[in-house]
Amino acid sequence: MLGALLYLRFTSLKNWLRMRLLRLKQPKYLVGAIVGVAYFWFFFFRRSFAVAGPSREAQQRALHNAGLALQDAGVALPPDLGSVPLAIGAVVLLAIVTLGWVFSLERASLGFTEAEIAFLFPAPVTRSGLVHFRLVDAQLRSLLGALFMTLFSNRWFFVGGSPVMHAFGWWLIFSAINLHLTGLRFTLTRLSDAGFGTWRRRGLVLLIPIAVIAITLALLPAAERWINPGAHDFPVTLSHWFLNLTGSAPLSWLLAPGKFLLGPFFAENWGAFFLSLGPAVLVIGAHYFWVVRSIVSFEDGSIVRAEKRAAVVAAMRSGKRLGRGPTKGRKPPFALTGAGRPEIAFLWKNLLGTWAWLNPRAWAWCALAIVAAATWAKSQPEWRWLLLAYGPVAIIIAGYTLLAGPQLARQDIRSDLVNADLLKTYPLPGWQIVLGQMLAPIAILTGVLWLLLLAAAVAFQPGPHSLDFLSPAMRDFALACLAPASRALLTLCLATLVPPVVALQLFVPNAAALIFPAWFQATRQRGGGGIDIMGQRLIFFFAQLLTMIFALLPAVFAGASTVAMASFFFSLPPIAGVWLGAAAVLAVLLGELWAGLWFLGSRFECIDLSAELRA
Amino acid sequence: MIEVLALAKRYGDFPAVTDLSFSARPGEVLGLVGPNGAGKTTTLRCLAGIIPATSGTVRIAGHDIATDPVAAKRALAFFPDEPRLFDYLTVRQHLNFVARIYGVADHEVLAQPLLEELEIADKADELPGALSRGMKQKLAIACGLLHSPQVMFFDEPLTGLDPLGIRRMKDSILKRARAGATIVLSSHLLHLLEEVCSHVLILKKGRKIADGSLAEVSAQFSNGEADVSLEEIFIRATGGSEN
Repeated sequence: MLGALLYLRFTSLKNWLRMRLLRLKQPKYLVGAIVGVAYFWFFFFRRSFAVAGPSREAQQRALHNAGLALQDAGVALPPDLGSVPLAIGAVVLLAIVTLGWVFSLERASLGFTEAEIAFLFPAPVTRSGLVHFRLVDAQLRSLLGALFMTLFSNRWFFVGGSPVMHAFGWWLIFSAINLHLTGLRFTLTRLSDAGFGTWRRRGLVLLIPIAVIAITLALLPAAERWINPGAHDFPVTLSHWFLNLTGSAPLSWLLAPGKFLLGPFFAENWGAFFLSLGPAVLVIGAHYFWVVRSIVSFEDGSIVRAEKRAAVVAAMRSGKRLGRGPTKGRKPPFALTGAGRPEIAFLWKNLLGTWAWLNPRAWAWCALAIVAAATWAKSQPEWRWLLLAYGPVAIIIAGYTLLAGPQLARQDIRSDLVNADLLKTYPLPGWQIVLGQMLAPIAILTGVLWLLLLAAAVAFQPGPHSLDFLSPAMRDFALACLAPASRALLTLCLATLVPPVVALQLFVPNAAALIFPAWFQATRQRGGGGIDIMGQRLIFFFAQLLTMIFALLPAVFAGASTVAMASFFFSLPPIAGVWLGAAAVLAVLLGELWAGLWFLGSRFECIDLSAELRA
Repeated sequence: MIEVLALAKRYGDFPAVTDLSFSARPGEVLGLVGPNGAGKTTTLRCLAGIIPATSGTVRIAGHDIATDPVAAKRALAFFPDEPRLFDYLTVRQHLNFVARIYGVADHEVLAQPLLEELEIADKADELPGALSRGMKQKLAIACGLLHSPQVMFFDEPLTGLDPLGIRRMKDSILKRARAGATIVLSSHLLHLLEEVCSHVLILKKGRKIADGSLAEVSAQFSNGEADVSLEEIFIRATGGSEN
C-alpha cells in the first residue's frame, strides 16, 4: 500500500513539474516564474546563500541587540518573559482544538480525491489500510507545508534554533493537528451515532476550557488575578500576568500537550531540541493511537467531501465563484425601476451579491460606534492612551484598504468576466458597462474609508499638554491644524477625494482583467498555481502600485500649485486655499477617471475572450 | 431583419468564418447547421455583437452592429447554449435588472405573463442555485424576451432539455416567429430543426455551403429524390466529414 502511495505521489509530482516547465514556453508564465523566483531569492534565500553575508550567530546577536534596544524603549519584553511565545502558541493550539470540537459538523471523512476514491475504495484494501494511506499522505503534505512555513518563521526574531529545527517543529505541529482533526471526526461520528447531540457536545466542550480558566483564576492570589489597564509598563505587566496564568494549574495541564508539541520549534539549540523531541513524539504517538483505535465508517463522508472539493476546483478553473451558488434570495439594497441610468442597475445587481448587512444602516451604526468610542476614551483618563493609537491605526488601515481593498472588493467586471458574452449583448456603450460594474466596489470601499477618516478625525484631539514635546512654533502650528474647524475641513476635503481615488485604484485590476484576460484568468486558478502564478500576482500588485503613483502625481501637483497660488499670489485665507486645492485635485482625478473609463470601455467593446483565452 | 454581407472572422491566422453573406426576413426561422468547428457559434456571436467581425457588414433591424451597436443590440436577443445567470439575483430580480438595462419602464406588467407563459412564475423569488437546468434556460429566455426583440439568436437552444422542454422550446420559437420576429438558431439536432426552421444555412470550415428555404436547399442536394431528410441533405452537403 505504501509503495502504491509513493508511486502515485512521486509520479504525480514528476508530471506536475514537467507540465509547469513546459508551460514556461508561454511568455506570461515565463515572466511570472522569473519574478516569482526573484521574489523568493531576494526575500528568503539570498541571506542563506550569501558568501560574505553575516553568519546565523551574527544575525541572532544583531537581533538580540535590537531586542534589547526595543526593550529599553519599552516596546519589547525583558528576557525573563522569553517563554511568552511558547505560551501563546500553546493557547493558540488549544483554541484550534476547542474550535474544532465545537464547530465540526462533518461526519467522519478523509481527504481523498475523487480519483483516489474511484481507484482505492473498490480495491482490496482494508479500512485501516486506507486510513494509513491517508495518514502517510498527510505527512508528505505536512512536510511541504513545514518547509514553506520555515521560510517565514526563519525571520522571526523571537525564535532561536536553526531552520532545520523550525522545519521539523512545523512538521510535528501540522502532523499533530491533522491527526487530531482526523481522530476528532471519528470520535464525533461515534458520539453522534450513540445519540450524543451536537449542542450538548458543544456546550460540554466549551465548558471545559472556561471552567479550567475560571478555576485557575480562582486559585491565584487575589493580587495576581487581574491586571491594571492603567499600569505604567502595561505590556510587561500583561506578559507577567499571562505567563503566571498559563503556568498555573489546572490551566497548565490543559496547555501541556501543546507546549510539548511546540518544544522542538522553540528550542534554542540542538541539545534543547533533542530533549524536547521526546515529549512531542509522545503527543503524536498518543494521537496516532487514538486515531487507529477510533476508526469508523468514513467512506460516505469522504465521497461527499471529495465531490465538494472537486466542485470548488472546477468553479475556480472556469472563473466562477467558489463553491455552490446561494439558494435563498434577499431583499434588494434599493428599489430599481425600469427607467433611469442603466449603470445603477449594475450597482444594484452587484450590491445584491455582497453581504446583506452591508447597508446604510450598518454604516450609520459604525459611525456612531466610532464617535462614541472616541468620546468615551477621551473622558476616561486611564484609557486616554487608546486615543493615541486610535487615529494612527485608522490611518494605517485606511492606507491598507486603499491598497488591498480593490483586490478584496471584486464585485465588478472581474467577477462578471465569465458573463462577458451576456454583458456584450446589452445595448450600452462599453464605458457605461465598465462604470456600472465598478460602482459597487467604489461604494463599499468609499464607505469603509469614510468610516476610517471619521475615526482619524475624532481621534486626533490633542490633550492640554500632549504636544509639549514640540517647539513652541511647531506646537502652535500643530494645534492650529488639529483645531476642530481645520480637522473638519481637512476631513471633508479628503472625504470628497476618496471616491475618485478608490475608482482609480479599481481601474488597475479591472484594466488587467480586460487588457490581459489570459493572465488574469491564470492568476485566478487554484490548484494549478505555482511560482509562475505567484510571480504574475506580484506583477499585478506592483503594476497597481505604480499606476496609482503615476495617477496621483498630476493631481497632487495640481493641488499643491493651486494652494501655493492661492496663498502667495492671491493672499486668500488658508481655508479657501485648501478648498481650491482639493477642487483642483478632484478635477484632475475626474479627468483621469474619464480617460480611463473611455479606454476601458473601448477595450471592453473590442475584447474577444474566446480569442484571448486561447493563448 | 438580418443582413449579412461578406462577414469574416479570423483568430490570428485561423479563418473561423470566411466571406459569409445571407439575409433573414421577419417571420423566418433560419437554422444554422454544420459539422463541429464549422463556425456556427462564431457566426452567431458576430451577429449578436459579442465579438467584433474581422471584416464585413452585419445589419440588425437596419442598424449596423459595428457602427451603431447600441441601436442594433436594442433590437436583438441572444440565447447562449448554457444559460448565463447572476448567482445572487432571483428570477424576478433578473427581470428587474434587464428591464433597467433595456429601459423597459412597464416591466412588471410584462414580466408576470412572461413568467406564467414559461411556467416559472412560482419560482419568481428563487435564486438560480435553486433552479433546475430547464428552469434556468426558461429564465434566460424570459430575460431575452422582456424587451420584445425583433431579432433572436439561439445557440444550441435544445441542449440539456427534456422531451417536454424541447417541445415547449420549439413552440415558443414558432410563436415568436409568427409574431414577426426574425430567428436564427444553431443546433446539431437536425430532425428537430426540420420541424422548426423555414430556412437553413449550411456552413463548413467557416464557409457557406448552401442557404435558402428548406425546399430550395433540399432541391439542391436531393439529386431528384423525393422526401430527402435534412440529415441526408446535411451529410451530402458537407461530404460526411468535418474536413
